[in-house]
Amino acid sequence: MGYMISEDCKELLKDVKDFAVKQIKEQVKQYDISGEWPREIYDQAIEMQLHMMDVPEEYGGLGLDHIDQAAIVEQIAWADAGVAVTLNGNGLALKPVLIAGSEEQKRKCCDIIVNGGWGAFALTEPDAGCDAGNGKTTAIREGDSYVLNGRKCFITNASVADFFVVTAMTDKSQGTHGMSAFLIYKGTPGLSVGNHENKMGVRCSTTSDLVLDNVRIPVENRLGEEGTGFATAMKTLDLARTWCAVIAVGLAQRCIDEAVAYAKQRVQFGKPICRNQAIEFKIADMEIRTEASRQLVAHAIRLADAHLPFGRESAAAKCFAGDSVMQTATDAVQILGGYGYSREYPVEKLLRDAKIFQIFEGTNEIQRMVVGRAAINRH
Amino acid sequence: MNILVCVKQVPDDYAEIRLGGDGKPATAGAGTVNNAFDTYALELAVRFCEAHGGSVTAVTIGPEGAQSGLKNLLAVGAGKAYLCAASGEADEGGTAALLARAVELCQEREGAAYDLILCGKESTDEISGQVGARLAERLGAAFVSGVVEAEPSGDGLKARQETEEGGVVYEMSLPAVLTIAKPAYDPRYPNIKTKMAARKAVIPVLELGAAEPALVSCLGYSEPPKREAGVVIQEKEAAEAVKKAVVMLAEANVL
Amino acid sequence: MKSLVYIERKDGRPVNGSLEALAAAKALGEACGVVIGAEAGAEIAPYAPVIAIDAAPACDDEVVALLEALIREKTPDAVLFSATQAGKDYAPRLAQRLGGGCVTDAMTLSAEGNALLATRPAYGGTVYEQMKVIGPVKFATVRSGCFVRPEAGEPNPVETVPLSAPGGAVKAKVVETVTEITEAIDLEGAEVIVAGGLGMGSAEGFHLVEEMAALLGGVVGASRPAIEGGWVSRAHQIGQSGKTVAPRLYIACGISGAMQHISGAMGSKYIVAVNKDPDASIFKVADVGIVGDALTILPLMMDEIRARKGL
Repeated sequence: MGYMISEDCKELLKDVKDFAVKQIKEQVKQYDISGEWPREIYDQAIEMQLHMMDVPEEYGGLGLDHIDQAAIVEQIAWADAGVAVTLNGNGLALKPVLIAGSEEQKRKCCDIIVNGGWGAFALTEPDAGCDAGNGKTTAIREGDSYVLNGRKCFITNASVADFFVVTAMTDKSQGTHGMSAFLIYKGTPGLSVGNHENKMGVRCSTTSDLVLDNVRIPVENRLGEEGTGFATAMKTLDLARTWCAVIAVGLAQRCIDEAVAYAKQRVQFGKPICRNQAIEFKIADMEIRTEASRQLVAHAIRLADAHLPFGRESAAAKCFAGDSVMQTATDAVQILGGYGYSREYPVEKLLRDAKIFQIFEGTNEIQRMVVGRAAINRH
Repeated sequence: MNILVCVKQVPDDYAEIRLGGDGKPATAGAGTVNNAFDTYALELAVRFCEAHGGSVTAVTIGPEGAQSGLKNLLAVGAGKAYLCAASGEADEGGTAALLARAVELCQEREGAAYDLILCGKESTDEISGQVGARLAERLGAAFVSGVVEAEPSGDGLKARQETEEGGVVYEMSLPAVLTIAKPAYDPRYPNIKTKMAARKAVIPVLELGAAEPALVSCLGYSEPPKREAGVVIQEKEAAEAVKKAVVMLAEANVL
Repeated sequence: MKSLVYIERKDGRPVNGSLEALAAAKALGEACGVVIGAEAGAEIAPYAPVIAIDAAPACDDEVVALLEALIREKTPDAVLFSATQAGKDYAPRLAQRLGGGCVTDAMTLSAEGNALLATRPAYGGTVYEQMKVIGPVKFATVRSGCFVRPEAGEPNPVETVPLSAPGGAVKAKVVETVTEITEAIDLEGAEVIVAGGLGMGSAEGFHLVEEMAALLGGVVGASRPAIEGGWVSRAHQIGQSGKTVAPRLYIACGISGAMQHISGAMGSKYIVAVNKDPDASIFKVADVGIVGDALTILPLMMDEIRARKGL
């Protein structure tokens, strides 16, 4: 079971597991209640460089194999999906820069992250979620500057980020081909963080609106050519979906571990409940779904590494892992019965955390559109 | 200050070791880790050098596989590491003799003497706690056990020993051997870059030769006497559970 | 087998562990206590013949030097210590100086010809080892709670030996002694012990353990997480790296029951455990276990006990 990882990474994974168990797993309970961003945990994660796994080696990154990286992300998500979402937020923000940015932009953003900073990717708007091409945020060229106006919502890490990748319409008449992407740094006049979402789950990650009120940035802050923003965003999401699925797998694994531990010690009618086929089969299904998710992820990662098309596989991994983790978390609650519904026990949080994996980085309906179209177009 | 930290590899103390079918401790499934107190010693040494300058070297006597544990120490602040190979069964006196030899060989290679030698106050497998004291005697060095803080003091060293009542501060000239208890802090986590670099390090192996004949030997093992589990009370209402329990205590006449 | 037993003193009295070591030595054959300070000899005389070293050492290095000189002069077959912090330091240092083998934490001791046999715990107390020590002089530290301390009787002879530590013996000198705990804690002699662990949650939560101990006239014990959390001083620690206890009643509150802890409390006559994890291993050794949060259970339990006692 699990990813096939290198011997050296196994040693690294032991440290990550120790960190996840001792510094995350129990600590997050209070933050789950308060909704506070656990800076203390993130400071330690930065010390361990867990926030910079997406920085390429040539920009001061770690040079980790992507399967090794997946095993590490899964381990963190096992302890808390929200912490994994925050750390992954840096990867999400960095991807459009690496896809479309200039050498200087890449270096600057990587430096920010390597030095312990955070990034945020701001695509979604109140009226443009799945239909991202319908954004209302505008970027008007004025000489050597662009002036941006609009509101982004559901932005992971917005309240802590040092740089933002923001999409805006440079030419509305062109539809998605009129969208461009921009780099905006914290502290730019007119840029502010709006409403904080009080979320159902993944509460150790911070999610807020980003408000752009006459934000003036130099032309050099544009990522790629005008009109390429939508394509950059879509490529970003193609890549990001796989990592979203990795987090879902870690969370599902935790559901299994909690449910199995409980089912082994809970005695009813004179025997542990795991000896009942009804429970055993439920555990088997949880296991099968999770392992299948994990291997879909591994396959998508290997395709991307080999520079082969992976959009269909990435969407399939995200969709399957997202639906799976929701079912697996529901099953875990069911196995724990009344205790599963109690906030005294860990699995109700897992269920709240699970739901987001059917929603963010493209709802699972969108993933099905991607996979469905790929299948239909093949024939 | 040049600091040498002596590290033993032990079965993971998170696993509960029981006797196996062959009547010996079944350590195979537990995995091997650096002895916890030795990792405290390493962290204390690294912090000492970060504050006052110096170098930290880790040394382990063990089989080829012990390389892995030493690499993990390179990832959390040890500047150098040596693996020492020895033959024969050593008791604590024998281990101290081997370590004294290791100190000598490491010093030859480094071309400099160690000012301070640290050991964990005991290992989590044998829990004997003798090796540090014996090594100090062997080297004719100053010795303080159960240390939780150390700082330079003139040409020497000041160390705080943890005691049941509080602490005792010692001052000593160098070289010194200290055994380290649990300080107020935990050992650091490695960052990924140093970890992966350390995993690629090549650890020199030093040959120590054969251990002295042992004066202490283990004739066999046994299990501790077992206690029968009693009654476990689990009630929806805490008050109900408590009532039941107190009745049982009263009946057993222990209140 | 002829043994010397180093008698450690605290507050002008021999410590329990040293008297227990004396009992262990008597079972091996001819036993003689060794105490530092001419005036202290009379304290030990009711238990065994005693050698009083007439000296006032300033630190451990001097004590070790004095004991070394005495052992060289008296040539015993064995030298025993209580497994206290001092005993654990002196025994291996002297064993190294005199070329002897040493076992620590002995729970049983016997002589076999010229060899000393001992049982000692390993791996956090889950395994016992049968050890054999040979050589001209054998050293052992004796675990507390494993031997019955001898009854005081008619005074035995006291031999006063004037000795002085050789110059240069002192390599580490004491510059400061920090006393954070002044109360005497006699866990080994306690009839009732109420111990708290991680499940007490905080120093505040740990007060419930203290309150329960006061109610039952018992002594407060603790497992390692409670010590490391700073909720109670190290002097209260029970287990492999703390004390070994054998009370009539042992109440473990919020203690999961790692072997490192349980091994120190296995000798208790009656164990009560309170833990919210129904799977906690403490329940495997408890006579009565209550599944529940110790922070909720303890106040209810105290009310119930008070009601029963008519308080």
